[in-house]
Amino acid sequence: MTNATAPVRYSAAAQLFHWIIAALIVVQFSLAWTADDLPLGARKLALLAWHKSFGMTILMLAVARLLWRLAHAPPPLPAGMSKLERTLARISHATLYGLIFIMPLTGWMMSSAKNYSVSWFGLFTWPNLIARNETAFQILRSTHDALSVALLSIAVLHLLAALKHHFWNRDDVLVRMLPFRSARRP
Amino acid sequence: MSAPRTTGGCSRALLAGAALIVPAGVAFAADAAVPVHYAMNAAQSRLEFTGTQAGAPFKGVFHAFTASIDFSPDALANSKFDVTITLASVDSEDKDRDGTMRGADVFDVAHFPSAHYVTHAITRTASGYAASGSLTLHGTTREVPIQFTFSSAGGGAKLLGTAQLKRLDFGVGQGDWKSTEWVKNEVNVAFNLALTPAH
Repeated sequence: MTNATAPVRYSAAAQLFHWIIAALIVVQFSLAWTADDLPLGARKLALLAWHKSFGMTILMLAVARLLWRLAHAPPPLPAGMSKLERTLARISHATLYGLIFIMPLTGWMMSSAKNYSVSWFGLFTWPNLIARNETAFQILRSTHDALSVALLSIAVLHLLAALKHHFWNRDDVLVRMLPFRSARRP
Repeated sequence: MSAPRTTGGCSRALLAGAALIVPAGVAFAADAAVPVHYAMNAAQSRLEFTGTQAGAPFKGVFHAFTASIDFSPDALANSKFDVTITLASVDSEDKDRDGTMRGADVFDVAHFPSAHYVTHAITRTASGYAASGSLTLHGTTREVPIQFTFSSAGGGAKLLGTAQLKRLDFGVGQGDWKSTEWVKNEVNVAFNLALTPAH
């Protein structure tokens, strides 16, 4: 894939998708963890309403991001990476892509099963994906919880890998995803 | 409940006078006509409300309610609805939310087990009928108008209608639930009553 015209940095659009979704995921974890400890009350409803609105935002961004990504090749990985490292990078990136779809979708289904429809910042209401069903709700909640642990773990790995590339390998893997910095040459 | 309805005080003297010269049971004048008395078929009747929670609507029903309906299109002056709703029968398809609604901060069913609605006057409108009436809920009585249509069906009748009310007018929502930021004040009510004539 490497050729003279291959980009060396992620484009502005790719960076925007990456950082907005990353920031929203941090917000999502804070909202969910705070709400989890509360009894059903106005504060819990409020936190979960934000959580659902941001979750649906992530889902819409994920759709746009995937479409954009399919049309635009990312910059190639550094030449020095082993086959194993490349495979691991590819798997973790694909998994993260999958999770930014699956997390909102399981959340949306969970809300539907519990008959708490999902509003988008009070502007409109998303249709229920599945019918009201307590058993389905319990299963979906466990799934949503388990996947959140998976997402957190892979995101931490992703972050550690980027730092390892930057400080250990001293390549441009991290920098090319950062705005306002020129890529250092490998 | 099934006793024949008497007419209002104003026309009572007139009727008493009329009774002297016409045998009982003979047709009255239109405004003094006796409406048909109906009982509600509970299994085929539905009383539903829609609230807005965190920006999204949610529906609930009351499984237990009774309605005594006296209604005839040509006897509106003496037509009357009397409805009693057992609030603990609320069902919004989520036990947590239902528990909260039965609790002290919302319906407070321990102190106010039922709601009661009774009409004062029924008038014809372009699309059906309108009624003024008062709703007693959570120890508070307020005027709540309703709009409805009436249709005879197979020996019985169908009553389809709606009402709009503000829950805080009745103090439904204390503490956390007083705020309208996450649970709106406006609640829409819809009913579909299957009626059979009762004698």
